[in-house]
Amino acid sequence: MSEDTILRVDGVTVRFGGVTALDGVSFEVARGSVHAVIGPNGAGKSSCFNVLSGVYRPVAGSVRYAGRELVGTAPHRIAALGVARAFQNLALAGDQSVAENLMVARHHLTRAGFVATGLRLRSARNEERRHRERVREIAGFFELGDRWDVPVGLLSYGERKRVELARALAAEPELLLLDEPVAGMNHHESWAMARQIRRARDELGVTVLLIEHDMPMVMALADRVTVLDFGRRIADGTPAEVSADPEVIRAYLGSDEPASGAAPSDGTTTAEHV
Amino acid sequence: MSDRTNLLRRALPVGGLLLALLVPFYLSGFWLLLGVMVMAAAIGAIGLNLLVGTAGQLSLAHAFFLAVGAYAYCWFAGAPGPGGGGITLTGLELPPLLAAVLAVATAGAAGLLFSPVAGRVRGLYLGLASLALVFLGQHLLFNLSSVTGGFNGRSVPELSVLGFELTGRDPELTLLGVPVGDRERQWYVALVCVVVAYVFARRVLAGRPGRALVLMRENETAAGVVGVPVSRYKAAAFVLSSMYAGLAGVLLAQAFQRVVPEYFGLVLSVEYLAMIVIGGLGSVTGAVLGAAFVTGLPSLLSHYSGLLTFLAEPGTSGVDPAVAARLVFGVAIVAVILLEQGGLVALGRRLRPAPRPPAGAAGQGEPGPPPDPASHPVLPPQDMTTASS
Repeated sequence: MSEDTILRVDGVTVRFGGVTALDGVSFEVARGSVHAVIGPNGAGKSSCFNVLSGVYRPVAGSVRYAGRELVGTAPHRIAALGVARAFQNLALAGDQSVAENLMVARHHLTRAGFVATGLRLRSARNEERRHRERVREIAGFFELGDRWDVPVGLLSYGERKRVELARALAAEPELLLLDEPVAGMNHHESWAMARQIRRARDELGVTVLLIEHDMPMVMALADRVTVLDFGRRIADGTPAEVSADPEVIRAYLGSDEPASGAAPSDGTTTAEHV
Repeated sequence: MSDRTNLLRRALPVGGLLLALLVPFYLSGFWLLLGVMVMAAAIGAIGLNLLVGTAGQLSLAHAFFLAVGAYAYCWFAGAPGPGGGGITLTGLELPPLLAAVLAVATAGAAGLLFSPVAGRVRGLYLGLASLALVFLGQHLLFNLSSVTGGFNGRSVPELSVLGFELTGRDPELTLLGVPVGDRERQWYVALVCVVVAYVFARRVLAGRPGRALVLMRENETAAGVVGVPVSRYKAAAFVLSSMYAGLAGVLLAQAFQRVVPEYFGLVLSVEYLAMIVIGGLGSVTGAVLGAAFVTGLPSLLSHYSGLLTFLAEPGTSGVDPAVAARLVFGVAIVAVILLEQGGLVALGRRLRPAPRPPAGAAGQGEPGPPPDPASHPVLPPQDMTTASS
């Protein structure tokens, strides 16, 4: 793997019973880039993220991240390697404050166990204080400073999306997986979020891999785009190349007569998705 | 305003503690015994609430771990010799304080042994799997008679340090003209234990392990992806909860002075679940309140049954105090589930004059100020390594 490739997905196949969610998908993510994975509903984008974060184990293929194999590695170990993920449908603890929701992302960076925390040993106190300071900075970066002590359940949807993104960044990742970061946001919030993602890349040097449905946003934000359809990669290139690709246009706009190349080899798979 | 609430926050526990220290000088044996049982139950309930309320793992096995604590103490500290019903008891005759520590550790070990099951099944299924432990426990308590004394149970050695009985009446002691007998001493021992258990649990929940457990309850997948080793934390929650149950068992044994198998049945597990639901799931204070309610009510009803003429004598037909208490628990649980899922602790929060939420925080659903990247403080990337090291 070359120096500037941080992630190489190679021939990854995921099946659920008879359904093939991912069918030999391969792509590479360049270090420091914003890379988008797009595709219609059911194309396998979220399955792809679940493989990358260790939640699903593919039946075939490999995922190399910074020289390590991620397939077969437990999710919490992948997190410790510097891969963080923001969930599409907000996986936050609603009755906990913004502070606590962000601090949990420091889990792999901190040590304090039950005994040290329960007895409030000096090591645990110092660690907590140090990391709280840093996480407060991150909250400020996402304009969440004045929401620091507020339970997440009381925040607006847009704010909770920001908490989700802030939590991923609070893990100090090298690779950030964002699952539809602007889904459900209004136009104004979406573009503010896009600017924050770009700044995270520019100022923190994080590589960003994102799933997104909002096409104008992908075109503006991404350096490179991978297009999935029915679990297969149908295109890969710059936003301009991809948006001119006839197969991509067909996947998005639909076509009565599937071209031979685009037709899934397995007829039952098609039926499951349509 | 915040200064005054802060002062109140600090003054309240100190005042409560002073009051608790003075109680044995004013109240009779009945109230002291009730207090010891409430405090012991509070420790057990805090443990169960860590597991069920915070970590989200339903357990009906709490009675089993209480029994392990109580009986392990008796076996470690007890003397070998003839028990009731022609049984020959065994025992290690260890110093009682060491026996108590070992009993808590044994309960923790029992929790650890069960944790592989807890790591594999969830929710209702885990509840059912844990139910098996209660029946296993009952079987062992009745049949492992050289350790447990079988049907007749086993007498409980007093906790003591260097010949001074912490829970008995030897040597005699008088403080300010008030004799400090067994009930008084048990009160103080239980008070120390409950304060330590309470503070420890509060700190754990406020810190790194607590945050991990809560996220694990809310979303197990997310907890793993965020970096929490999920199965290890599930096991840890089980071990900690069992150790709390073990300590509660040791203290209850002191109060009863004799442990018998029937007490540690399924009903006891259900009572502990009632405590944490009524008190407030996931709250340490709630567990204490729930324990006071569930443990106190039957005793109070029978104590005042002379005044409560609608209650029947125990053993006669009609509603006796124990049945009346169960009816009240049933109603209380339904009321909590329907009306206030935060339990007693949330009810208390409602009654308190609410501190004003921080500016802008109250607006539920109200969109926050649009993020303006230009005004953000810049995060220097080189901080990443220094902060995390």
